Amino acid sequence: MEVKRLLLALAVFSSTSAEETPPYRIVELLSASSPSDSRSKEWKPGDGIPMEVSGMAWIGDTLAVAIRKGEVWMIDNALSEDREKIGYRLFASGLHEPLGLTLDGKDLLVSQRAEITRLQDNDGDGTADAYLTECDGWNVSGNYHAYAYGPERDGKGNLWVSLNLGMGPLTNNSIGWRGWGGIIGKDGKFAPKSFGMRSPCGLGANREGDMFFSDQQGTWIPTTPIYHLRPGVFYGNQESLGTLKALDTPFQMSSIPKPNQPYPKALQSCPEFVPPAVWLPYNKMGRSATDIQVIDQDGKFGPFDGQLLVGEFTNSSVNRVFLEKVDGEYQGACFPFLKDFPAAVIRLSFAPDGSLFVGMTNRGWSSLGNRSYGLHRVVPSGVTPFAIQEMRAKPDGFELRFTEPVDPDSITKAGALEMSSYTYEYSKRYGSAEILTKPHELSGIEVSEDGLQVRFRVKALRPLYVHELRTKGVRSSRGRSLDHPDAFYTLNRVPR
Amino acid sequence: MRSRAFKGVGVALAIGVFAFVSFHLFAGPHVIGYERFHSDQPSAVGGGILFSELGCANCHSESPVATPRKGPNLVDLKQRIDHDWISSFLKNPEVGRPGSTMPKMVHGLSNEEVESIIAFLGTKGKGIKFSNGRHANAERGSALYHEKGCVACHVPTTDFHSPHGSPKLAGFDLAIAHPDLKKKTSLEALNYFLSAPARYRPDGRMPHITLDRQEVMDIAAHLMDFQGSDPTEANPVEAWPSADALVIGKGKDLVQKMNCAACHEIPGEKAKEVVKLPGKVFSDDLHCLSDEPVDGLPFYDLTNAQRKSLKLYLKSRGSDEGKKVSTTLAAMNCYACHERDGIGGPTDASDPWFIGDEGLADSGRLPPPLTGMGFKLKREWLEGVLIGKAENRVRPYMKTQMPAYPHQAAILAELLEEADAKDAGFSVSHSPEVLEAGRKLLGTQGGVSCITCHTWGGQPSLGIQTLDISSLDQRLRPEWFQQYLLNPAAYRPGTLMPPLWPGGKSTVPGVLGGKTDQQIAAIWAFIEKGQGLPEGFPDRSGGQFELVPKDRPIVQRTFFKRTGSKAILVGFPGEIHIAYDGLDAYPSLVWRGRFFDAYNTWFSRMAPFETPLSEDVFEFPEPESKGRFRGYRLDASGNPIFLLQVDGRDLEESFSVADAKLYRTISWTEGPKPLVTHPKGVDVAEKAKKNTLTFIYSWK
Repeated sequence: MEVKRLLLALAVFSSTSAEETPPYRIVELLSASSPSDSRSKEWKPGDGIPMEVSGMAWIGDTLAVAIRKGEVWMIDNALSEDREKIGYRLFASGLHEPLGLTLDGKDLLVSQRAEITRLQDNDGDGTADAYLTECDGWNVSGNYHAYAYGPERDGKGNLWVSLNLGMGPLTNNSIGWRGWGGIIGKDGKFAPKSFGMRSPCGLGANREGDMFFSDQQGTWIPTTPIYHLRPGVFYGNQESLGTLKALDTPFQMSSIPKPNQPYPKALQSCPEFVPPAVWLPYNKMGRSATDIQVIDQDGKFGPFDGQLLVGEFTNSSVNRVFLEKVDGEYQGACFPFLKDFPAAVIRLSFAPDGSLFVGMTNRGWSSLGNRSYGLHRVVPSGVTPFAIQEMRAKPDGFELRFTEPVDPDSITKAGALEMSSYTYEYSKRYGSAEILTKPHELSGIEVSEDGLQVRFRVKALRPLYVHELRTKGVRSSRGRSLDHPDAFYTLNRVPR
Repeated sequence: MRSRAFKGVGVALAIGVFAFVSFHLFAGPHVIGYERFHSDQPSAVGGGILFSELGCANCHSESPVATPRKGPNLVDLKQRIDHDWISSFLKNPEVGRPGSTMPKMVHGLSNEEVESIIAFLGTKGKGIKFSNGRHANAERGSALYHEKGCVACHVPTTDFHSPHGSPKLAGFDLAIAHPDLKKKTSLEALNYFLSAPARYRPDGRMPHITLDRQEVMDIAAHLMDFQGSDPTEANPVEAWPSADALVIGKGKDLVQKMNCAACHEIPGEKAKEVVKLPGKVFSDDLHCLSDEPVDGLPFYDLTNAQRKSLKLYLKSRGSDEGKKVSTTLAAMNCYACHERDGIGGPTDASDPWFIGDEGLADSGRLPPPLTGMGFKLKREWLEGVLIGKAENRVRPYMKTQMPAYPHQAAILAELLEEADAKDAGFSVSHSPEVLEAGRKLLGTQGGVSCITCHTWGGQPSLGIQTLDISSLDQRLRPEWFQQYLLNPAAYRPGTLMPPLWPGGKSTVPGVLGGKTDQQIAAIWAFIEKGQGLPEGFPDRSGGQFELVPKDRPIVQRTFFKRTGSKAILVGFPGEIHIAYDGLDAYPSLVWRGRFFDAYNTWFSRMAPFETPLSEDVFEFPEPESKGRFRGYRLDASGNPIFLLQVDGRDLEESFSVADAKLYRTISWTEGPKPLVTHPKGVDVAEKAKKNTLTFIYSWK
């Protein structure tokens, strides 16, 4: 096993000048030593841990990692800067493609294809000796795409699980809660709560304890969305409508939205059908979102506490999401954040010291990363990036907050800010182009006295449309340019 | 754009046992390409399609459609078509074949004269030697008819139940209805026709179906509602009444007088000279277009919209060259399956009948768009596709099968090439360095991982199984390939393929200096001339993923044949292994010998159902009361103790192996002893203690 530790001061922020310390450095803990490792001709079991990370949980300084092969490893002293001190222990094995891992008291809860399993080490020898069924009750047809994710804990202590739709041979999405999210019921059965998901690969609660999930562009899903996960709502994918026929279906739809119409129209046709809190426009923000991890690090990870980090599979990157509540519903903006990871990012977990662990696997799909798996750590350097920290909707426009004072001339000059809005087609097709795109006229750009806030007015805001803000040449008062010039606000509701 | 040009609704008349053929009553002759796209608003373009498809161009020479419309060849009629059916068809084509584009020709003729025409036509042809084979299966034919693409143009039949449910005829109001085939023809004749439609219908409006002989016969049996299994038992076409030479001679005169040969091939007959069209200024008193039959001229029972469209076309003809492709595609009904430039593609009703690999979303089941097709495909390849060459079929996952147009292939390929092809400039080197770079880029070891999704020759890909790219140089134009890779969704909306050079930038800086155009050219070069495989295909020769229990049992969950989707395999040192069913909580299989190869379970995206690495397998019968699996504990030696609930009480069931025997111990805390079943072919010894039963399985 080759455990490398390289300091990769990669182009995390492309615009950061060479002299300046990058805000984040990426440390490689372990990744495929050849670009494909477990798929290479030379690789054999025992040659190393195929670190296709699928779940992470912290026990003190020990990081428990689930890998897709079906194992849970304990990485002791995971925060040590001395690689000789980092140890790898096999804790559990023989699992069926685990895709989630959570600490519960002394035990670990791990998802498998057919159940959530409680792993216990009763004799204290450091390996699991009990694999107890914590939750089951969903259909597993044998289709490869019918994954199970979770559990993740919300602020009330509910443990949420999300169930992928099948796709291809052996698919049966009409029974057994495919496309549903739910919680572990008291009887150990999956308690379905809401549906219309396709590939809800990431779950995560925000600081308020509300649960969110990511879905992925595909059939019925025009581009990657981030949803507020709660009971009694429909997220748009109609492939599992058949599950409504089950006797214990928790709710019924008052109508089924018709396909092949603009998304806002479809939303308005059905009260249970809800929009995502944020759309992540295809290609601009990535292609397939994965894990959701709230930043709650007392500012140690930059001035982004309360925001969500969202893993991105195909682009091997991490995005950032700012949310606010308008009329009691979440909505907000997304921003590109970290990039150039060596494989598809699937799991994110903050270590006790405020660094971010990033788990990767390329299996079955390709990513811009050219290694097949890995585990990396993102360590904040204390340098704050110059970024659009927040983007808030206002009745007549938007308000931006920057991480450091902005140079007023650079942002008020003509062409510094541009905006257009668009939506998607609601259809069963695999993804949608942006449709009904319109440019918006901006006016009244005002910079606050401290230079941190910028307010601008936008004519004819369009509810339920994505409002894309493109900046050009915006600089901080210190002359830094923005880490990422663009932001994408999903304006479900215009504040009054 | 959907037509409302119906007299009432599409009416499904159930006629006796022949319940599945639906009869539409169309208003006027039915030309799909016109009704679907141009019937809402009279237009010159719509009129041009009608001008071609009603056969006007056969007498008047000019056509806006590249592929001429003809009537069927009038040969071998006696063996193929019922005499009385022809008679009634000639008198009223609309009743003989709903929506027929055959005009009324025999108005003003007596019955005897019509009979003489038929008698004359009956003399044509050298005779058919039918070869039917010995089997016909109408049920299979029904599945083929619905799944292979016939319903792209034709009406589905109500007796078919697919995964999508029963077809909804209401949505098929534009589809081509069949005539009453039982009245018109015979099983052997229909089979003969379907085996090569161009033999009698050279204009390609009914294309060749690219299926094997048996499949064609099965479809014919389905359409004829043939209930038997031996096609030779089906009735042939009834013998025609005899006719004397005088009658036949009279018929010949009439056929010549009416110029039947303008539209139909009739051996020995020639079309008359072209009838010149009036100039662009003409009176409204056009005889062929009149709303009452005129003796000696064809009568089309046109709708007003059709008549207006034809007149608009006649006034504007010559000025619509730019529409030739769309007009031709509409006339040939290519739009039934393919979209081009935003026009056409499956209708809401026909869409569910396009079946394929749902794992590839719509691109796994819908025919590719024709937008830019002449730029995408090399002309020879496109022509091969249209001719119906089996080796030009590249989407094995699609059930719908492209039909063939043997007489139109060259014309259509040229038409599309002329419309679309452009020289975008593409140069490629085949130096060893470039070839090696291409090999690397295609693979997963530092490349862009094409083989994750695309098969390569006989090699399955690593993830989803989409089309083979090892020979794409034979079909694609390199310029298109280059542009497609930069933005796949722009060329194939809805594709799963992501742009691997996002924003045109390479993500593999180490190969060919990270230059996008050189990298794409290198991939092309390797596909063209490279040797060997792209990097990253796993070695599947076996062995390295075999699990061999040595000191302790190995537990591994997987999908397993018979045991199901929640199988817990336990391999014991001592070469006895079990598969436990974690859904119903009982041992499902026991086998001796080698245990299990874990490759697919550990590393394959597709997660197939696996089997033991042994033939020496014994099945446990399913228990009467199914249990609820609650997990397992491992004892100090690593043997599993399964936890289950059966009929409301908790049981534990443990397994171990010693001395070539399998020990199975079931214990409980209260109540009677549980019912336990054992595999056949295995000796069972039993030991009982309080609330504990131990079974010892051994083999002679």
